[in-house]
Amino acid sequence: MSVSLDVTERIKPPRAVFLPFMMGHHFGVPHHKDLQTEIIKTALSRITKAEKSGDIFHFPKTWSEARKEGKKLKVKRQKFGD
Amino acid sequence: MKTQTEKELRPGLWETVNERYPDSMITKDDFVELAKLSKPLSESRLTFVSTAGVQPKGSMPFDTVHPVGDYTFRRVPSNAKPKDLEIHQLKYPTFGAEEDLNVIFPIERLQELTQEKFIGGLTESFYSFIGYNMDGERLENTLAEDIAEAVEAENADVVLLSPA
Repeated sequence: MSVSLDVTERIKPPRAVFLPFMMGHHFGVPHHKDLQTEIIKTALSRITKAEKSGDIFHFPKTWSEARKEGKKLKVKRQKFGD
Repeated sequence: MKTQTEKELRPGLWETVNERYPDSMITKDDFVELAKLSKPLSESRLTFVSTAGVQPKGSMPFDTVHPVGDYTFRRVPSNAKPKDLEIHQLKYPTFGAEEDLNVIFPIERLQELTQEKFIGGLTESFYSFIGYNMDGERLENTLAEDIAEAVEAENADVVLLSPA
């Protein structure tokens, strides 16, 4: 998992998923279970999908999108409870 | 065509940090060969290795103020609840993790994926250390080797690695 593309490119792990997210939030935003699970499943899918070493998959969601989804879920939780 | 590294957003960072802490910013020249999974993920045993400084409450806190870092790791029971864990690390924003630990240490999501049989099983322990270690050689030769040995002893088939 990576939120720092330059670091990952220098370290050269065999497989990586790059997320344009804030440090400390590699698996998304609080209480967004679907996103957290999707990130893990994406990472694990690279075990079979990566064709050569050095594969860096760019996760198709921005930090802004993730935060907006998290805020919507927070409002929903406050309104209806968990 | 320029590589991503040549057009990096933080030009000179490696050289600047390495000047102060020699060899702390690691650059590898070669790619590690891809390892193939020998069985389906649904039959594989997974472990999680993290630099988030997550540790069981009551275990020896990581030394977060040592100038060259802490080269030890903690075992985190893979069946632990977030309320039984705490973070000792100062080098990344933890406001999300304080609300929901899963944003950096997705222990509950991995437990769920195992219950759903998406993953075959989890090792008894996950592994945690702090990312602030300024002696790259020591990191590779001691801490990384110690964790690799522990992971191997737990017969992990898959390792999910995450910095913080």
